[in-house]
Amino acid sequence: MVTYIDAIREAQERLLREDDRVFLYGQDISSFGGAFKATKGLAEAFPNRVFDCPISEDAMVGLAVGAAIEGMRPIIEMQFADFSSIAFNQIVNQAATHFYRTGMPIPITIRLPSGGTPGSGPFHSQSMEGIYAQYPGLVVVTPATVSDAYHMLIDSVKLDDPVLYCEHKFLYRWLKSKAINGDHLPIGQARIARPGKHATVVTYSAMVHEAVRAADRLQADGYEIEVVDLRSVKPLDLDTVLASVARTGRLLALGEAFPWGGVTAEVVAKVTEEGFHLLDAPPQRLNARDTPVPYHPKLWAAHRPTPESICDALRKLLSF
Amino acid sequence: MPNVEEKTSNHIVPADGDFLRSAFRSMLKARILENKLSSLYKAGKIVGGVYLGRGQEAISASLGTALIQGRDCFAPLIRDQAGRTAFGEPLIDCTRTYLGSVEGPMRGRDGNIHRGRPEMGMPAMISHLGAQVPLIAGMLFAKRLKGTLAGCVGATSVGDGATSTGAFHEGLNLAAVENLPMVVVVANNQFAYSTPNSRQFACADLVDRAKGYGIGGFSVDGTDLMACASVVGEAVRLAREGGGPQMVVAHLLRLGGHGEHDDGSYVPEAARSGHYGRDCIEVAMRQLVEGGFATADEILGWQDEIAEDVQKAVAQAQQEPVPDPYREDWTALSTRFPVSRT
Amino acid sequence: MPQLGESIAEATVIRLDVAVGDSVKTDQEIIEVETNKAVMGVTTLCDGVVSEMRAVEGVSYSVGSLLGLLEVTEEEVVRTGVDTVESLEAKKDSQSGRKDKGEENLHFALDGDSYEEDPSIIPSVKGLPVPTGVMGAHYISPRMRARMNDLGIREADISAVVGTGAGGRVTVEDLERFIDYLEDWPSVAASPMRLAVADAMRRSWTRPLATVGLPVLLDRVLDHRRAQDPKPGLTLYLLRALALALTEQPMTAGYLIGEKVIHPRSFDIGVAVQVEDGVVVPTVRRVDRKSLSELIAEYDDLVDRARRRRLTEEDSKGGIATVTNFGTFGLTTGTPIPLPNETLILGIGAGKKKPVWSDEVEAFIPATEAELMLTFDHRVVDGGGAGVLLKRVAALLQKPESL
Repeated sequence: MVTYIDAIREAQERLLREDDRVFLYGQDISSFGGAFKATKGLAEAFPNRVFDCPISEDAMVGLAVGAAIEGMRPIIEMQFADFSSIAFNQIVNQAATHFYRTGMPIPITIRLPSGGTPGSGPFHSQSMEGIYAQYPGLVVVTPATVSDAYHMLIDSVKLDDPVLYCEHKFLYRWLKSKAINGDHLPIGQARIARPGKHATVVTYSAMVHEAVRAADRLQADGYEIEVVDLRSVKPLDLDTVLASVARTGRLLALGEAFPWGGVTAEVVAKVTEEGFHLLDAPPQRLNARDTPVPYHPKLWAAHRPTPESICDALRKLLSF
Repeated sequence: MPNVEEKTSNHIVPADGDFLRSAFRSMLKARILENKLSSLYKAGKIVGGVYLGRGQEAISASLGTALIQGRDCFAPLIRDQAGRTAFGEPLIDCTRTYLGSVEGPMRGRDGNIHRGRPEMGMPAMISHLGAQVPLIAGMLFAKRLKGTLAGCVGATSVGDGATSTGAFHEGLNLAAVENLPMVVVVANNQFAYSTPNSRQFACADLVDRAKGYGIGGFSVDGTDLMACASVVGEAVRLAREGGGPQMVVAHLLRLGGHGEHDDGSYVPEAARSGHYGRDCIEVAMRQLVEGGFATADEILGWQDEIAEDVQKAVAQAQQEPVPDPYREDWTALSTRFPVSRT
Repeated sequence: MPQLGESIAEATVIRLDVAVGDSVKTDQEIIEVETNKAVMGVTTLCDGVVSEMRAVEGVSYSVGSLLGLLEVTEEEVVRTGVDTVESLEAKKDSQSGRKDKGEENLHFALDGDSYEEDPSIIPSVKGLPVPTGVMGAHYISPRMRARMNDLGIREADISAVVGTGAGGRVTVEDLERFIDYLEDWPSVAASPMRLAVADAMRRSWTRPLATVGLPVLLDRVLDHRRAQDPKPGLTLYLLRALALALTEQPMTAGYLIGEKVIHPRSFDIGVAVQVEDGVVVPTVRRVDRKSLSELIAEYDDLVDRARRRRLTEEDSKGGIATVTNFGTFGLTTGTPIPLPNETLILGIGAGKKKPVWSDEVEAFIPATEAELMLTFDHRVVDGGGAGVLLKRVAALLQKPESL
């Protein structure tokens, strides 16, 4: 069995092996193997390629951009996505604008352990894909499966542009697969995680699994719910989303991030703009609540969408 | 402010005539070019703001001259025209960027002092001060991984204001931890926009921070070209030979406003008439002539030649087309994604 | 098995430090486990005696699994506040719907599988905006509208469809079912003429139309006509009478657009001509300016071309009212519908011999009577105005030589 975090580690191992330009930079990632063990054993297998750095997220990303200018392909591990806000300036102003301003692309990959786990609290749970997607010049990917975790990390490093790789902490060890698939979709293409015909749920990352659980429950009532896994939030595969809404006529955009704006709002806006005539009901969104992510597991469980709340939202959508 | 007698170079290195002549020419180029920019600004020809380095030419030119283009990397900041010129940036880059020519290095997408040529080892700054410190550290770090670091130096200059930023602190600390050959020149011109030193830092002298980072620290009279050449040359040499990061704090006065839109009326008269308020170009001219490194006539010749070059660069840039929004490809990514519409 | 770190899903027991029957103290490490990150000790919450040990060395257990049980005194329960098997059972019964996962975790408060939570805590989801006052087919979603466009269906056509959506609205599924249902019925494609008439009538019908009627004696007209060569059609007499009546009250043919009533400039009046599968309405121009005999040629030509479907677009444009003779179908009364761009239509039914009271001879005399019907847009014209117009037309028809 391969877990989601195993896939991330294996992808990095392959990258270090196949491309001399790749190096890893982050806190506690060398002999300790990383806070989540995403880099376990890599420092030993690849001497002088995996480095422990001081608690300086701004400098980490600044260093990555400078290294990219010199032709390297650094992977920066943020210990938690939440800490990337310290590096916000370097990400959105230095890395994201560089190609537009100078014509030289910046091939850096920043790994953001994202999303909540029970007890993780407000500063170890954030989902920041919406914020980074807002800025032109960044690619934002959100793998939901073990295979995607592997292949999309490799694809991200291969891209010449800066990539925010949003890996979901809950899925690290909870999500297991027998093996990593050989074939995979390119970044920018969504996949149908579950085919259906009565309503479409468009989502990404851990919420794909919650949506599938909700769909299974609704199947008992005779509803076939289609779940679209965006895989990458930017670029966003509107074609697949519209094709799904063409089939079902009803849309629920689902995400774990805060409710104002973000990925779900972008999906609804785009579908309404370009697929208005496909909608038989007003498009809906389901996000976390408009508060910081709570610490206590009981509060946390009510803060983010769950199969229950997803079913609730879908039922309302289906009965319109 | 430190006592003048204490602050002339602590490392006396014999003056190198070629270095001084070369640095002085860069200073002249910067001053003449920037005077021209100031006129153009007041004539309404400049797109956006104009930020000049009057008063900082000596320290900036010293840094640029000490660096070796093609091997070293240099991230200039706002008032580094002299350093840029010394490092090899063509004059036309400056006039094109200020006058909005689409042929400039930034192609109209960024302007004034946000220009650079990363492929030449001279990255383009962003407005957030301090951000270039870790960037240069990264360039050096990459060279080390590639095995090409030996004999290289990376440099950036910051003002007194930038030393307050988190990025400055993180970048310098990281460069020290990684033991990179980085030289950071802190041009303490006593004012960050309108903010005096007393509201910027509480330590006695910015060079005291070097000890805190575990790096080399130097202090120099920024108005004195010979002192700057000596100290900066020494700092660059130490870094190049593996001595780790070096901080050079130059004491001077900003001789203009923060930008040409600002008159700097908050700068007290005492500062202007004090030691550090003197014009480094006048000082350098005296030093060159008295030291026998150049004659007054030669210098006049240089001035004429430079004025002519500047005029040509301005004229050419003014003739060139401005960016055409209908010809722009309007993409910020180098990758073309086929499936998506984002 | 406790949650010994974020994202830890399981741990391996590497050493059991106690066995069944052993006494343990509070905060004693009794089982050594290894996670991906570290080696740690599972710790007791209270004093007690090990009554059951389910954990086996070398085996991995997921977070939340039961590793063993302690026997604990009542005083100890009170002192430490721990949950016991019994107290947890009691809690379970009192909370409705708490799912039993088969593996209870009795020592630690955290559920192993965090997907299941108490269904009484369901986050609020804003309801969908069901349009207020939705009744029947009045709310049409964008997808419905697009589908209706595809099929050439109008709202009126689906009034028979029962809606299963919110507020009884017709959903796309309802529409598709209805279309399928109609597949079984015999049908024929509607001709373009039929569709054109359907469209015009539908658009006209959006206004409040009313009809008033008046019997008119036709004998004078019939006598006059007999003496003419060529003979003008009966409808032509009506045309002239209407035109002259309208010149006296042109506001009766006014057309309402927004807050303005547009009055006619030129008295061009249409004639309804029945053709195969529909009706066409050629327009006779400036009827007020030409006498009956002057109009015959133009009128006959228009009617002839209408019948042969040789009318141009220009021929049917610009009328301010229409005249129709449904008497030719044998009908005596009718409520004709004006064209969508006109306020009035004047119709006449078949003439019938009837006894009519004559004031002159104070007796009933035989006369030919027909019903004159005027349908009008009641937003522009009221019964009074219609009555005045109709009476004038009837009066003019008693003096056919003046037409």
